[in-house]
Amino acid sequence: MGTIRVGRPEAKPDTPSHVPGLHQGNKGPYQEQTGHHRDGSSDARRSTGIHWKRHDALGESMPNISPG
Amino acid sequence: MTTTDARTSGRKPAQLVDMNWDPITRIIGNLGIYTKIDFANREVVECHSTSSLFRGYSVFMKGKDPRDAGFITSRICGICGDNHTTCSNYAQQMAYGVKPPKLAEHITNLGEAAEYIFDHTIFQDNLVFVDFCEAMVKATNPGVLARAERTDAPRGDVHGYRTIAEIMKAFNPFEGEVYKEALKVSRITREMFCLMEGRHVHPSTLYPGGVGTMPQPSVFTDYLSRLMRVIDFVKKAVAMNDDVFDFFYEALPGYEEVGKRRILLGCWGAFQNPDVVDYRYATMNEWGKAMYVTPGIVVDGKLVTNNLIDINLGLRIMLGSSFYEDWVNEDPFVTHDPLGNPIDMRHPWNQTTVPVPQKRDFEGNYSWVMSPRWYHPDTGEHLALDTGGGPLARLWSTALSGLVDTPYVKATGGGIRITLPKGEKLPETTLEWRIPKWSNTLERDRARPYFIAYAAAMALQFLEEAMGMLQSGDTKVFENFEVPDESIGCGFHEAVRGVLSHHLVIRDKKIANYHPYPPTPWNASPRDIYGTPGPYEDAVMGQPIFEENGPDDFKGVDIMRTVRSFDPCLPCGVHMYMGKGKTLSTVHSPTYGANHG
Repeated sequence: MGTIRVGRPEAKPDTPSHVPGLHQGNKGPYQEQTGHHRDGSSDARRSTGIHWKRHDALGESMPNISPG
Repeated sequence: MTTTDARTSGRKPAQLVDMNWDPITRIIGNLGIYTKIDFANREVVECHSTSSLFRGYSVFMKGKDPRDAGFITSRICGICGDNHTTCSNYAQQMAYGVKPPKLAEHITNLGEAAEYIFDHTIFQDNLVFVDFCEAMVKATNPGVLARAERTDAPRGDVHGYRTIAEIMKAFNPFEGEVYKEALKVSRITREMFCLMEGRHVHPSTLYPGGVGTMPQPSVFTDYLSRLMRVIDFVKKAVAMNDDVFDFFYEALPGYEEVGKRRILLGCWGAFQNPDVVDYRYATMNEWGKAMYVTPGIVVDGKLVTNNLIDINLGLRIMLGSSFYEDWVNEDPFVTHDPLGNPIDMRHPWNQTTVPVPQKRDFEGNYSWVMSPRWYHPDTGEHLALDTGGGPLARLWSTALSGLVDTPYVKATGGGIRITLPKGEKLPETTLEWRIPKWSNTLERDRARPYFIAYAAAMALQFLEEAMGMLQSGDTKVFENFEVPDESIGCGFHEAVRGVLSHHLVIRDKKIANYHPYPPTPWNASPRDIYGTPGPYEDAVMGQPIFEENGPDDFKGVDIMRTVRSFDPCLPCGVHMYMGKGKTLSTVHSPTYGANHG
């Protein structure tokens, strides 16, 4: 840092980096989260746990759009 | 550098008066403009622009987890924080080698479009127009106001005001109709933003690799209904701006010289095309050109390049009048880009910020802003590019490239045609922005409402495409990635007021170097090592003074109009240096697992 005089650091700036054993968000939700399908589509379970099957599309050929 | 010709004939002996504005109001208070004005010949002779805020985001980004960069750099600014998050994510996506799903790109684009509409509206109508309102014109140019009262507004059928003076009255702060209406519009557009990015102005749902916004039909229909509520306001704003600025050219002959400088504009491009972008450095030229605002460097009215790789390679951060130590003797972080092109030591990838606080001296160092320049490979010049306040450079570069051809927006080479659909009162309207003759104060201000229309028109297209994807069941908005041990990345985006780049170097899964370059360091830069003045200085120096007041009650409205036409904004410094090694307080809120390792 050149010649500038600074105080003794009290913070550890890299502490928020990853903690071993903790779920990493960027590892993807597909194994962990229900309602997400591998092909990128999703069903109503993604949005709600309440009567979610009733919120799914009626037919096979219909797109499954999240309720809301 | 200044293009304003010295007027030789009939010059009187100079009557020089020092006139300073520090801080400049209507931005956070750290920009100062120091001028020498010749009242006998009514022109500005000399100008220095200075910032009193240390700029050192790069210092505390070091050693942090790169995935946090978007959240941290957002806090650089309370106005354009989301532009920083977006740009940081672009840089990270390049470093991680991840391409977000298309729907995520649409959601980001929609959020950014709302931000452009919001920020340009609040700046133009609530801050810029204070300099053009009835009260201000009465205080500075009473003759012009008298003429405005007699002048019919040519586009009165669109905006509903009969004379120019009526429009100026509507601009009056706190009382005028336009002022109050703009505040309402800024609320609606902020709601649009929050639908897409979660929170204004520090987004909570933008991450590298995608977004956390829940793609459901109501998100897009809520956005659309709000957009349609403001679309008539946008049409009226364009008509009103054209009327007022045309009137100024007419009422004050020679006003085109105010704030005029050589045409040196830079635009780094905005709105990624989801079908083309893959965030690889090697293909940056292709996906850069596919952006819906085309990047480009415009010199003397001609397009020098619209290749993002060339733009990246030409970036140089110069010193000369800044309170920093040179870093050329440090080790470079990046010697070659992924294509093997050599990277200069003055490139942001290699920059090290070493502050040297000192007294302000206009003969020596006088600003905390460095001097970003673009190295022209053919002429060897270090160009002091400006952003024209953002919209002027974006529209100019997009128009000259002529690559944007969408259902609502078309670049024609000589201008840009924007079609807005029928609103509550006004019918479908096609607006045409034409490349102006000058890069001056009024053209910078005039471009702003046109870009609001541009952003609104692009938002309509993104909405249609996003809703199409949603209705086909394609709801994926996030892609997995791994953080590499070592990597580099760069992001190019447009902050609301102009060019924005983020340069990132990762070593050992941590940030080794990180340099955000927002627009105002380009615009507010001081004289560089070659003595080239920055854009504010260049634009103000040599400009004529049209204000009728003398030195005693001088308001400097012409100078302020010039500086504010660039949409100045400098909070992207860091308010942290106490001097003498003193730290006021250290606050650290560790996340879970703070004591690990």
